Amino acid sequence: MPFKTWQCRTCGYIYEEEYGDPGEGLAPGTRWSEIPDSWICPLCGTAKSEFDMIEL
Amino acid sequence: MTIPSDIAQTIIDPRAYADGKQVDDAFAWLRREAPLEQAQPEGFDPFWVVTRHADILEVERQNELFHNGDRSTVLTTIEADKKVREMMGGSPHLVRSLVQMDNPDHMAYRRLTQGSFVPQNLRALEGRIREIARGFVDRMAAHGSQCDFARDVAFLYPLHVIMEVIGVPESDEPRMLKLTQELFGSADPELSRSGGAAQTTDQGVDSIQSVVMDFMLYFNAITEDRRVNPRSDLASVIANGTVNGQPLGHLEAMSYYIIAATAGHDTTSSTTAGALWALAENPEQFAKVKADPALIPGLIEESIRWVTPVKHFMRTATADAELAGKKIAKGDWMMLSYPSGNRDEAVFTDPFKFDVERTPNKHVAFGYGAHVCLGQHLARMEMRILWEELFARLESVELDGPPRNMAASFVCGPKSVPIRFKMH
Repeated sequence: MPFKTWQCRTCGYIYEEEYGDPGEGLAPGTRWSEIPDSWICPLCGTAKSEFDMIEL
Repeated sequence: MTIPSDIAQTIIDPRAYADGKQVDDAFAWLRREAPLEQAQPEGFDPFWVVTRHADILEVERQNELFHNGDRSTVLTTIEADKKVREMMGGSPHLVRSLVQMDNPDHMAYRRLTQGSFVPQNLRALEGRIREIARGFVDRMAAHGSQCDFARDVAFLYPLHVIMEVIGVPESDEPRMLKLTQELFGSADPELSRSGGAAQTTDQGVDSIQSVVMDFMLYFNAITEDRRVNPRSDLASVIANGTVNGQPLGHLEAMSYYIIAATAGHDTTSSTTAGALWALAENPEQFAKVKADPALIPGLIEESIRWVTPVKHFMRTATADAELAGKKIAKGDWMMLSYPSGNRDEAVFTDPFKFDVERTPNKHVAFGYGAHVCLGQHLARMEMRILWEELFARLESVELDGPPRNMAASFVCGPKSVPIRFKMH
């Protein structure tokens, strides 16, 4: 399954499944569905549910 | 308890921010002894001083409980607040930008330009910004071995970038820089419009109001032009954009330009100047980045934390609330002290050390929540490109005299960073 990209509606932070976010404890390859629903945007605190899937 | 008057006086004194150590010491005392208490310096309404990182996040996260716009978003005296309200038909604000708005307006107005500042759209600017950065690195090299990095590079590079984004011609950049410095430096005798610190409230408010009026006159002409001749710039988005199906109100449009044309460069300039100041004072940190450019993102985050150019914003409680065990009453005014949050010993190990390898580095310099800085991705990108270009050529740097900070308690940073350097 191809990797997807998600973006915070509030601040524009981008989460790319392929690269993960090691600084946030999310290893490369971590799928969006594997991230807990309680996770929040590392830059602004927006809830995971307020992210949109985007294409870069 | 009420915060002791000498501490309260220090954290509102522009000269203490110019000194740096005075505010650092005052906030360190507050974090230890009175992390969330009320201050009431003479001439001011009482306000809570939020000093801890966690409490700042908690307030910023709850943007419906803690409003931006109900009272002044910047600390102001009772007298100045009264005068502004008289001038503005009861509003405590001279402008109405995203900073002064709450929902639903805040979200609607933010969406108007958000697309221009998201990372995927900024990528299109990378090449042009690199060209601009190279030009400033060349200019620095042309100085030989000495320059004032603040005045010769840091003030001018982010200014040029944001003015291109807005659509302001290069010939007007000196004017935009002067107006910005007059606005944010109104308490600094070297930068204020009057050429001295205001002696009375009337003088202070009038001085800021006259700067705002000059901005408005300028951007009014830009608006008229872009309505007739729209281009692919931010000015055209503001001039022709709609919010809730209507064109932007005049005050809101003018305020949008003003925030872009001031905060859009001044904060990045301060951080850039402060970074080189810190690198010159910490040669081992310079050597680390020089040896490993992969540390540039770390340098950027640490310099943003280190400088924290926005010193505070005020919030107003919309209902009775509890924060860190304290009862906050509806209508209470709260000062979010970002430099304090960014030196919070509970979050940052050795917070008074400049460390490009600091990780994690979850500073609050861009704010948090709905009002988090709109331009943060552009700011980081500008700094990354400048440091990539500069570190490729800069061999050494040291201070060539005492650097100096602007005297301001709202937005400020270095105003002079004399350096001696070697470049190839």
